[in-house]
Amino acid sequence: MERQILIGGEAGQGVAKAATIMGKAFVREGFYVFNYRDYPSLIKGGHNFNVLRISAEPVSSHEFDGHDVVVALDEKTVRKHAGEMKKDAVVLAPNRVNADSKLSVDTENIIRELNAPKIMENIILISAAWKYLGMPFESLEKTILEELKNNRTAVTAAKRGYEEVETGKVMGTAPEKRARYFITGSQAVAMGAIAAGIDLYIAYPMTPATPVLHYLAAVQTEYDFQVLQLENEIAVANAALGASYAGAMTMIGTSGGGFALMGEAMSLQGMSEVPLVAYLAMRNAPSTGVPTYTGQGDLKMAVNIGHGEYPKVVVAPGDPKEVFERTLEAFYLAYKYRVLSIIISDKHLAESTYTVDGFSPRVEPERFIVEDVPEDYKSYEITETGVSPRAVPGQGDAPVRATSYEHDEYGYTREEGEWAIKMNDKRFRKVRYIKEEVASLEPVNTYGNGDKVIVSWGSTKGAILDALKQLDGWRFVQVSYIEPFPAEQFLDAVEGAERIVLVENNVTGLLGDIIAEKTGMIIEEKILRYDARPFTPKYILRRL
Amino acid sequence: MRVNQNDLNTPVENTWCPGCGNFGILTAVKGAIADLVNEGFAELKDFVLTADIGCGSKIYDYIKINGYYGLHGRAVALAVGIKLANPELKVIAFGGDGGLLNEGIAHLVHAARYNSDITTVMHNNQVFALTTGQATATTERGFRGKSTPLGTFEEPLNPITLMIESGATFVAREFSYDVAHLKETLKAAIKHKGFSIIDVLQPCVSFHDTTEYFRKRIYRLEDEGHDPYDREAALKKAREWGYDLDPDARIPVGVFYINDEKMAYEEGWPSIRKGPFWKRKRERRWEDTIRKYVVV
Repeated sequence: MERQILIGGEAGQGVAKAATIMGKAFVREGFYVFNYRDYPSLIKGGHNFNVLRISAEPVSSHEFDGHDVVVALDEKTVRKHAGEMKKDAVVLAPNRVNADSKLSVDTENIIRELNAPKIMENIILISAAWKYLGMPFESLEKTILEELKNNRTAVTAAKRGYEEVETGKVMGTAPEKRARYFITGSQAVAMGAIAAGIDLYIAYPMTPATPVLHYLAAVQTEYDFQVLQLENEIAVANAALGASYAGAMTMIGTSGGGFALMGEAMSLQGMSEVPLVAYLAMRNAPSTGVPTYTGQGDLKMAVNIGHGEYPKVVVAPGDPKEVFERTLEAFYLAYKYRVLSIIISDKHLAESTYTVDGFSPRVEPERFIVEDVPEDYKSYEITETGVSPRAVPGQGDAPVRATSYEHDEYGYTREEGEWAIKMNDKRFRKVRYIKEEVASLEPVNTYGNGDKVIVSWGSTKGAILDALKQLDGWRFVQVSYIEPFPAEQFLDAVEGAERIVLVENNVTGLLGDIIAEKTGMIIEEKILRYDARPFTPKYILRRL
Repeated sequence: MRVNQNDLNTPVENTWCPGCGNFGILTAVKGAIADLVNEGFAELKDFVLTADIGCGSKIYDYIKINGYYGLHGRAVALAVGIKLANPELKVIAFGGDGGLLNEGIAHLVHAARYNSDITTVMHNNQVFALTTGQATATTERGFRGKSTPLGTFEEPLNPITLMIESGATFVAREFSYDVAHLKETLKAAIKHKGFSIIDVLQPCVSFHDTTEYFRKRIYRLEDEGHDPYDREAALKKAREWGYDLDPDARIPVGVFYINDEKMAYEEGWPSIRKGPFWKRKRERRWEDTIRKYVVV
């Protein structure tokens, strides 16, 4: 049993909130819900919509058509989406909105009678839709109270909306009601960072990384850490390195444009070996691109960020469960190996809400600071693993030094070739050990067991998994660590394939290039989408 | 334990030109740190320096304390971050006029606006020296360098008025060959709670030798009864000399402006106020954090 609901209206009419409430209420009833959010770059007016896909089975994608119900807060929603509706679908809308197959809800009268704010139309309409789908009012009521800070008027308004329509397309009941998580990729990064022990999150606002800034800022006092917004991304990156050098577990967050500005500081990370975690939420690019829409065009920038050569970690989670777990891994690897860990996500993963059964982190991050600082402490001691024991300034009597110049073990500037070799070798010696760790962190995952293989990374996972349900003879190989690249695990996963297709949300197939570089394997067949929209199962099925 | 300023020497060979104005700054800084330790203001292990890129920034290699040698223009941003992570540290950012006023001016202005509790030392030789002599934001109009053979047309920026207007709460100017005064002003700047900056006039013997120009025109603010707590008077004094090498100028040095009332940036943050993060044991269970998003 699957249903798809589109909720649309102007920015400022509460479209996203209505979708969150309705989605969460369905999860409460035991269903899996995927909630896609679509909005242009403006604050009031325009056209925003959410698509909720609801199923008794796990679901992690939506379609842009095949809606069973359209909740229209304005007439533009009808005009834009009527053609995408199923034949037997209905529109739930206020009296003022003209539409075919419409179930009218007298929202204006209810608002007037309850003396409620106009924005509450969203609650009245989703409640009517809830009734139309034959769902019990109680779970919706509980969700409204949770999401709207115990607003009793909203519940009364919802009750009125619920009474406005008759039950139509009954959803039925889910096989099992159990506790599940309803969470976006952004929320999962934020919670992962907190679980990892974050002390400072430093950022400059940029869509679609901004929600992490907001979530973390909202809970900083509860979890006793701090969120700082500095003057620009360059300040953010440099201050973050200063903070991490001085002992704070630090994460920065931005999107492609901001990360490009941070490039030089990332190179400073490489030379100074001060641990750092960076959250990179991609959007459509190049340049300002289509700023509130999605894309996977920054993969090579992440892998190659900053001038010069230095080891780093790039991890690409595919859904909020993985985002949470991989964020912990990013902190663990950054602080244990004194490297840069980049968590690469995108608008689709950051702002869509997924239903998650549970989480199972593989690592426990810590500060990785020495217990006692020896008198003759060397900030860049040359060791077998390439990792120099980490101390922080003020910890012991010995100075702790970090530098952008090539240096000796004490961190003093050295221009002799001999030191350049010694220190480059030391830095790159870590890679072997990081690779061993990564191998134990499921860097490549395979779903299904056909002889034909889809290869992809990141947020495309949701649509691919749902497409796989309708495919015979296919398996999906998901690459989650891009750097260091798990070449062996990847080759094992695609072994014996009679056909390999690369799926990426970009113009040229960036993972394909990296696979070619790291393994020599060239994937000729590519399904690439670059209209700034995410993949859907139908899109993949049509192109296969 | 008493510290002698020679204890702060490093084994690194000094590569400044003979007679470079930076030597005076180095001596004054080591002296100031040694004094502050000996006077019980802080332990040596609590001093941290950050450095920009440029001749003056080589000071990182010449002082044996904690330090982070950063990127061009970013010494102040690094210092702000260090202080946020551990407000117990005494953080001093070193940079030139090029790094602080050209490449990284945003960080300087904003750190002053935040009133971040760090000290900035500007090695102001009015020229890019390590790149062999190009004009910076404080170079006098008409300067002919290798990149400006036609002469510069722009007016220099006045860092003293800029810093007072930006919100800095301790603003001073010193002359690098007057080591004794520079040391005392450094000590006062480091002790000051909030953003302090010293614009150190530092002649570059190779590309911008202003030694004689300054020696003839400098006078001390305290000798003329200047009250640094008077903001309008400070701005007026700051405007007396505009960094053009005007032959008729009188150049005030000393402390222009002090404001002890303003809250320092780090004091505003409840978690930062508690002290160094690295000393804290985090006992967050992942199950508890993610529970926020469970639906039951």
